[in-house]
Amino acid sequence: MITKGQKRKYSPEEVEATDRSNPIWESQRQFVFSVSLNKYQRGQELPEPSLRRSVLIANTLRQMSLEFCNAPAEDEVPPDSSLSGPEEVQQESPSNKIPSAKHHPAQVVTNSSSALTTCSGVSSLHSSHYAAGRNLANCQWNSSTVPLSNGDEDEEWESMSTDGDFSLSAAISSILTALDSNIEESPQAVQRTPFQSLENLSRSSEGSATWVKQGVRGFVGNLEEWDECRVRENQMEVTRSAYLTDFTVEDLFQDIDTSLLDKDKLFGLRGCGVGHPAGDDLPRYLLPISPSASSSQYLSNQNLKCLPSFSSFGPLSSSPASLPTIFSPSSSLFPDSRVVLPLT
Amino acid sequence: MEEESDSRKINNSFLRDHNYATEADIISTVEFNSSGELLATGDKGGRVVVFQREQESKSQPNRRGEYNVYSTFQSHEPEFDYLKSLEIEEKINKIKWLPQQNAAYFLLSTNDKTVKLWKISERDKRPEGYNLKDEDGRIRDPSTITSLRVPVLQPMDLMVEATARRVFSNAHTYHINSISVNSDLQTFISTDDLRVNLWNLEITDRSFNIVDIKPSNMEELTEVITSAEFHPRQCHTFAYSSSKGSIRLCDMRQAALCDRHCKYFEEPEDPSTRSFFSEIISSISDVKFSHNGRYLMTRDYLTVKVWDLQMENKPLETYQVHDYLRGKLCSLYENDCIFDKFECVWNGSDSVIMTGSYNNFFRMFDRNTKRDVTLEASRENSKPRAILKPRKVCVGGKRRKDEISVDSLDFSKKILHTTWHPHENIIAVAATNNLYIFQDKVN
Repeated sequence: MITKGQKRKYSPEEVEATDRSNPIWESQRQFVFSVSLNKYQRGQELPEPSLRRSVLIANTLRQMSLEFCNAPAEDEVPPDSSLSGPEEVQQESPSNKIPSAKHHPAQVVTNSSSALTTCSGVSSLHSSHYAAGRNLANCQWNSSTVPLSNGDEDEEWESMSTDGDFSLSAAISSILTALDSNIEESPQAVQRTPFQSLENLSRSSEGSATWVKQGVRGFVGNLEEWDECRVRENQMEVTRSAYLTDFTVEDLFQDIDTSLLDKDKLFGLRGCGVGHPAGDDLPRYLLPISPSASSSQYLSNQNLKCLPSFSSFGPLSSSPASLPTIFSPSSSLFPDSRVVLPLT
Repeated sequence: MEEESDSRKINNSFLRDHNYATEADIISTVEFNSSGELLATGDKGGRVVVFQREQESKSQPNRRGEYNVYSTFQSHEPEFDYLKSLEIEEKINKIKWLPQQNAAYFLLSTNDKTVKLWKISERDKRPEGYNLKDEDGRIRDPSTITSLRVPVLQPMDLMVEATARRVFSNAHTYHINSISVNSDLQTFISTDDLRVNLWNLEITDRSFNIVDIKPSNMEELTEVITSAEFHPRQCHTFAYSSSKGSIRLCDMRQAALCDRHCKYFEEPEDPSTRSFFSEIISSISDVKFSHNGRYLMTRDYLTVKVWDLQMENKPLETYQVHDYLRGKLCSLYENDCIFDKFECVWNGSDSVIMTGSYNNFFRMFDRNTKRDVTLEASRENSKPRAILKPRKVCVGGKRRKDEISVDSLDFSKKILHTTWHPHENIIAVAATNNLYIFQDKVN
């Protein structure tokens, strides 16, 4: 028996995918989006996430966000809205860039009282994404989101950044980068010459240092964006933890058992015929895939780890589980929304 | 007996039957050898169990040969990768037999990281009468030896031993999903999510990477390799399938690195059936060449497609396995069933194809008559020598007697692994931790 984890008014299966103006489609889209994010995150928390699964989920997310942005603006602007009308039509061809959250036409399904359009639709989507569980995708989507205070919703949504740098696809891609940042050899891969055989993936320890840098670069980039969006959240219950502001690269590694990075040990392992690829995945566990750490209105008790991989790496004094919750959207924002997300 | 006249099957035997399901007993692969005499199964606990067909006795001509356990051995052990702090699962992902060249049998078995070549040999004689040691094995005191004797081979109870002859390790960063032996019987390929490596059966310390789809920037990764197989006749041709629903045929003579394909098989997406899950359900879970080498069969989530190697733009035939699930994709996505990897298999003459489904159902499609049948592998419905009844799933509206409605399907009972005897109409179907062997009805 298939257990349906969500109560829906309409069966979403019956909705045609092409019918974008249909609120049912929108609700299904939001649902699938949030489930996908959840799945992805849970998958990443596993010691060894399945690459095929991660890629498929990431592609689904990317596809949905592309469709989202390419949908034509059809809805009228409510008269009392202080929102600017649908802004410039996206000129870019569908690519990995999702320029902005500007021109979302669909109605907000969860808030049936006001037909907020364009940006508001997007922001409600974002809020539901908050609900789904914070991760980098959300963060970057809302990269310059203003605090969602009670009184000034329209204004804040209007001022949502259209910064092209922050795109969902960039989020997804950074997720994938972190996923594989150090599974493999260094980015400056060995030139594959014909007939060159791989002699059991011999690795050098300097390769591992390179991966570390690559992974760290990605992480630090995420930190900057994360920081930026947090600056604007003065109304939210943001806890400015020293974790993110004072964090340095060195801090990342401070609790790592560096004996495992010991060269001798690496060679020793190879020598005894175990032949493990040397140190290539170490940084993968040091780097977060997404600095997600919020509780949500719906998963309020779930403290999503920002750095799940830390816990799998052995005795570390700093527990990622202690990361405070970043967002707790007030329930008054969406009084009518009662989406219960399945905890898969 | 031809498939066309009677598609019903007799349940021949229950093997590896357990009353309780332990995780380690879940069968993860089944494979007949090239003569059909042996049937190998691999499970999640890293064990391989080989069944052998009984010789048909003249005294009971009606009793077709049944499969009995021939050998059991632990192929892979759980390993711990110290550098990644990860346990490497011992689950056997694939078993492939080598054609028999002498009295011993050889098979390749693989888990996520390591491929092993096993030799299964029989021993029915042992030497007796050593000079330097007793029958128990204790060393005799040389001073007590007064005469020499020649050891004599004495018959003993048949013993089947399995020894690991080669271990092919440390060539895959990602999880191996398939292996395939070349028709030249000297090489084989092992495939993980992003790479295909070519090995020589004799050489274990090096392999050649022939396909690598890993992008230099992992951010651009959108496609993984899901399966690969050598052509059954041409030793230079192999095909690999992707998570995006495409198959690439490569010729190893063209270049040492086969990143550029010779042929690219992909069916354009039907816009009317587009959904959020279009890409996920288009991901190919298995690719199999036909025995005659003219066709390719691919299995994606809802369909089985037969491709003509000469025609790249669309499949020759498309068979709906369980189209009634199309409306349930959202729920199947939630419970992860949409990621299940079903296998598909040809019969010996390439006229019938078979694949598994949920609720312990499996489907057979006759390519000539276009008939199809749904059968169930379950203990309740199959007594030994009973004929299997065709099952039907009703989609909506009224449900006839003996039909099952879509909502009552048990999605935890899935048939992912099946195999067909190379010459006869005998099939082996793995249903979680049970193995069912069915054969054609005999008049």
